[in-house]
Amino acid sequence: MVRYKSRYLLCELCVSDQSSLQLLDERAVFAAVRGAVSSAHGDYGSALCSASFAVKYLNAHTGVVFLRCRKSHYRVLWSALPFITSVESRGQRVPCFFNCLHIGGTIRTCQKFLIRYNTQQLHRMLRLCHSEAERLEVRKAVLSCSLKSLEKEEEAEDGYGDEEV
Amino acid sequence: MVNMAVFIDLNISYTADTKKLQNIIETAAHLGYSTVAINHVVDLQQKKQEIGKPKCVSELFDRLPIVQGKSRPIKVLNRLTVVVSEASHFRTTNEVKSYDIVAVFPKTEKLFHAACMSFDVDIICIAVTEKQPFYFKRPPVNGAIDRGVFFEISYVAAIKDSTLRRYTISNALSLMETCKGKNVIVSSGAEKPLELRGPYDITNLGLLFGLSEGDAKAAVSTNCRAVLLHGETRKTALGIIHTVKTQPTAERQEEEEEAVPAVKRAKRETL
Repeated sequence: MVRYKSRYLLCELCVSDQSSLQLLDERAVFAAVRGAVSSAHGDYGSALCSASFAVKYLNAHTGVVFLRCRKSHYRVLWSALPFITSVESRGQRVPCFFNCLHIGGTIRTCQKFLIRYNTQQLHRMLRLCHSEAERLEVRKAVLSCSLKSLEKEEEAEDGYGDEEV
Repeated sequence: MVNMAVFIDLNISYTADTKKLQNIIETAAHLGYSTVAINHVVDLQQKKQEIGKPKCVSELFDRLPIVQGKSRPIKVLNRLTVVVSEASHFRTTNEVKSYDIVAVFPKTEKLFHAACMSFDVDIICIAVTEKQPFYFKRPPVNGAIDRGVFFEISYVAAIKDSTLRRYTISNALSLMETCKGKNVIVSSGAEKPLELRGPYDITNLGLLFGLSEGDAKAAVSTNCRAVLLHGETRKTALGIIHTVKTQPTAERQEEEEEAVPAVKRAKRETL
């Protein structure tokens, strides 16, 4: 049994304005990363990275992105990521940067990490709540979290939307 | 996330805009930096620029943001960078001593030599916005390494522009040829929150700069810590005795003199 081994880069897109994340789609991220690789490493670098390179997942609420590439050349891809300053999407330029959170060999390990990370983010955000009532509201929203009521909770608070990915 | 190492960014450009500075520091905390230094650049060649007292950090925030993955608030320091194009520009005055970290940016080879061998500084900046005007020679670089002075590469120019990226990488590589990855720190020099990058990304970026994996990681963590300790020794007498000024009303005996045990002293003296 031989399989092609991949590396999954779990990245976070950091933007100054959270609402601009809604503009992003997978194709825009794909184009931005490919452009960065080709400008940083030239034709040779983009050729190395193009094998099995894909944007596996994009969460437009938290800005989490999964990138996949071959295990042998993931560093070429990774070293190009810091040079991305903006992603062009639907005719608009969204200034942002990639923050690499985790590198994993399977999607599963990345997912495990992401759940832990998002829980941590929730704890960080809870500190910012002004009153106890607000805190309770968030907690209620988290407990009632399910895929069906996804739309409702988006309005309540971002940062925990994909705990049940 | 378990951050084993403590990440430090020693170069955040000072802006008078407090809101912006707060924003940058918040982003740095989010990315997992546990210490940042606000950089005040003084170019004595231009007009009548003077070295002023550092701004008080505590005015900046009511409550410092919590570092990602830790429960401690972020630590903010003051740093001074003096751009020297003449030897007379750099003098150790009381104003200079009030900064936590002091850096110089030598413009000529002679000054680079002087900065490496004799200036009382912690960091020597390497040009990133132009082609290095001189070669790095082995003796001054080795001298700097022996004295515990660090070389700084700032990556913000590399992010902004493709030409500057070439300069940054080529200057960094030519430095690495001489110092072999020792005593190098990589810092941001960010003027905007979106110019910062995460510590792991920087570690990987270090590979482009010709650092080995271990050296690249040290460049954002342990080497920066060494810089902080080196900066602290300026306030003390060779890092052995540390005096604290007490209130004039307090009794004389209370003047705190903290003597470090002999074992530690021997260690410090090698710095």
